[in-house]
Amino acid sequence: MSLQEIILQQLINGILIGSFYSLVALGYTMVYGIIKLLNFAHGDIYMVGAFVGFVVLGLVSGILGAGWAGIIISMLASMLIVGLLGVGIQRVAYRPLLKAPRLSILITAVGVSLVLYNFVMVLTNGEFMAFNTDLSFAGIDLGSVRVTYTQMILVIATASLMLGLHWFINKTMYGRAMRAIAIDQDACRLMGINVNKTIALTFFVGSALAAAAGVMAGVYYGSINFFMGFVIGLKAFTAAVIGGIGSIPGAMVGGLILGLLEAIGTQLPMVGSEWKDVFAFVILILLLVFKPTGILGKSEIERM
Amino acid sequence: MKKKTLFLFLLIGLMAFLVVGCGGTEAPAPAPPAGSGDGDAPKAPGFDGEIKLGFMVPVTGSEAPYGKDMENAAKLALEEINNNGGVLGKKLVMSTADDACDPQVASAAATKLISENVVAVVGGYCSGATLPTLKLYSDADIPFVIAAANSTQLIDANDGKAFMINGTGLHQGQKAVELFNKLDAKKIALVHQGDGYSEDLAKITGQLWKDAGNEVVGTEVVTKGEQNYSSVVTRIKSKNPDFVYWTAYYADGGLFIKQLRQGGYTGEIVVGDGSNDPKLLELAGKAASEGVFVTTNPLVEYMPVAKEFMDNYKAKYKQDPGPYSALAYDGIYLVADAIERAGGIDSKALIKALDDTADYKGLSGIISFNEDKTLVQSNFVLLKAEGGKWVLLD
Repeated sequence: MSLQEIILQQLINGILIGSFYSLVALGYTMVYGIIKLLNFAHGDIYMVGAFVGFVVLGLVSGILGAGWAGIIISMLASMLIVGLLGVGIQRVAYRPLLKAPRLSILITAVGVSLVLYNFVMVLTNGEFMAFNTDLSFAGIDLGSVRVTYTQMILVIATASLMLGLHWFINKTMYGRAMRAIAIDQDACRLMGINVNKTIALTFFVGSALAAAAGVMAGVYYGSINFFMGFVIGLKAFTAAVIGGIGSIPGAMVGGLILGLLEAIGTQLPMVGSEWKDVFAFVILILLLVFKPTGILGKSEIERM
Repeated sequence: MKKKTLFLFLLIGLMAFLVVGCGGTEAPAPAPPAGSGDGDAPKAPGFDGEIKLGFMVPVTGSEAPYGKDMENAAKLALEEINNNGGVLGKKLVMSTADDACDPQVASAAATKLISENVVAVVGGYCSGATLPTLKLYSDADIPFVIAAANSTQLIDANDGKAFMINGTGLHQGQKAVELFNKLDAKKIALVHQGDGYSEDLAKITGQLWKDAGNEVVGTEVVTKGEQNYSSVVTRIKSKNPDFVYWTAYYADGGLFIKQLRQGGYTGEIVVGDGSNDPKLLELAGKAASEGVFVTTNPLVEYMPVAKEFMDNYKAKYKQDPGPYSALAYDGIYLVADAIERAGGIDSKALIKALDDTADYKGLSGIISFNEDKTLVQSNFVLLKAEGGKWVLLD
């Protein structure tokens, strides 16, 4: 492979991994935007999404096969189920603490994360599950650069989910309500906006996006396990911070930037692929030190 | 603003704690050495006294299933030997001591066996637990056939009275190099996970390959539990090796193989014995795993010579023999053979007889010892994935 080919291949890889980060980061950023909570259970929601998709695919593959039809059905089912799970978690674990100090709700989020993680661990006996699909490895070869059709479809799918979200946030009444609550909850309440319902909706959308990413990761990697959400949770958090936590376009951009930086960074001649995570988290630290608001985040003035 | 930054730092610290917290493992609770049955072989008449062997494996704690498999296999060997007239006209009996895979319990177990005046000891599953017992047996002049434990630390601690019948990392590396040569490979790439086990194997193999005047084009390290290997795949593809050797475990190995093939790598793939699980093939999927090789310690289910042992074991214990029982079985037979050759149970003669073992054909391979009392010939075997199953090569 020539240098250009390596770079091109890594750009493609970076976009794919980055779009997964973006989808998960969106959930972080939406929840943070609306109730100022860093929902550390979000990575585990992604993992649960993958498992729900796995179960649904197992059920429908008898009729539809494990091709794209079955995958799309299981992805939609997983989005719905996990979206509702997100709403349930919000109702049980977070809503009672909305008025409590922020640290309480944060610790609760860590608790929820551990519950989901251990629940799936016990359920699956800690085993890795083979997410078997009928997708082939076929693709386009440009020289020695290879893009599989699966990769292309997954990128298109994430892009359309993000476009859909963009439209939802900016063009619908619910989206307007979300943006309004992010600015001032009490004013919204006075204006007759159902705040609790809108927060629940935010959790639904964020969790559904994470579930979609989980199913896509399962389809792409072919194997799922109970701790798959941990690293991607941290990475997506990094992506959200890069883009500016609370900002939806920021999460999209942040995910892509992180994916691309990782992919390109690992090809530098002096360092190895084992430095991948070092890149991701060094970027996080640098950003927190020098530009905590991220690329697209707004700097808020906190009045005490 | 400041407050928020500090807050985020706190969070990162918290997550770091979680990462560290995940590494905790359960330490097996020390249990008193449980002496169990002195060989339940049928009492055949005509024996003139008994020869007592010691057998040391973990039969309690987290590693107990493997220890029990090994104990079963050893009892099977005893029964067969006694049914064929015993050793030098004497009946062979065995006393089991539990090492619980714990160095302290193992020392107590060794002391117990020594006080019972056993002629020789077979066993040793956990390297860490086996290590402190080497000196105890050696001081008591008792020969020790180490059946499964295979850390290179054991070689250094051995003062000549212990014999390792399981291959070490070096033997596995040799087997891998043998495979590279067989398929005329020129350039190889190694992939490990940075833990002691997989890194050692990668280093040993790389060194052997370089010493033979060949080229290692890349040594890649991946994070345990990582799902996306696209960067490593690109690195490997850009170096165009003939062989990729994955030395880590099966769960991540399955993902890695799949992505390697997905990314368009067309060379050969071989994995180490941490990946000898059939689950690897399932996780990688049939299309990607076809033709993958594995270097593995001799697993009885793939060894035609062990067919009879396998059948007898299953008939007697109603379960599969497990990965290390052939080694325990070989250990007992080897000691019996050495006693015959020594013509008695004098410990010096017995140690010499074990040392002189020449091409003894066990289930697990051919046994003769180097200067450092490790196997001359690697007992590792090569399996190849065909139709979603491992089959023995050659």
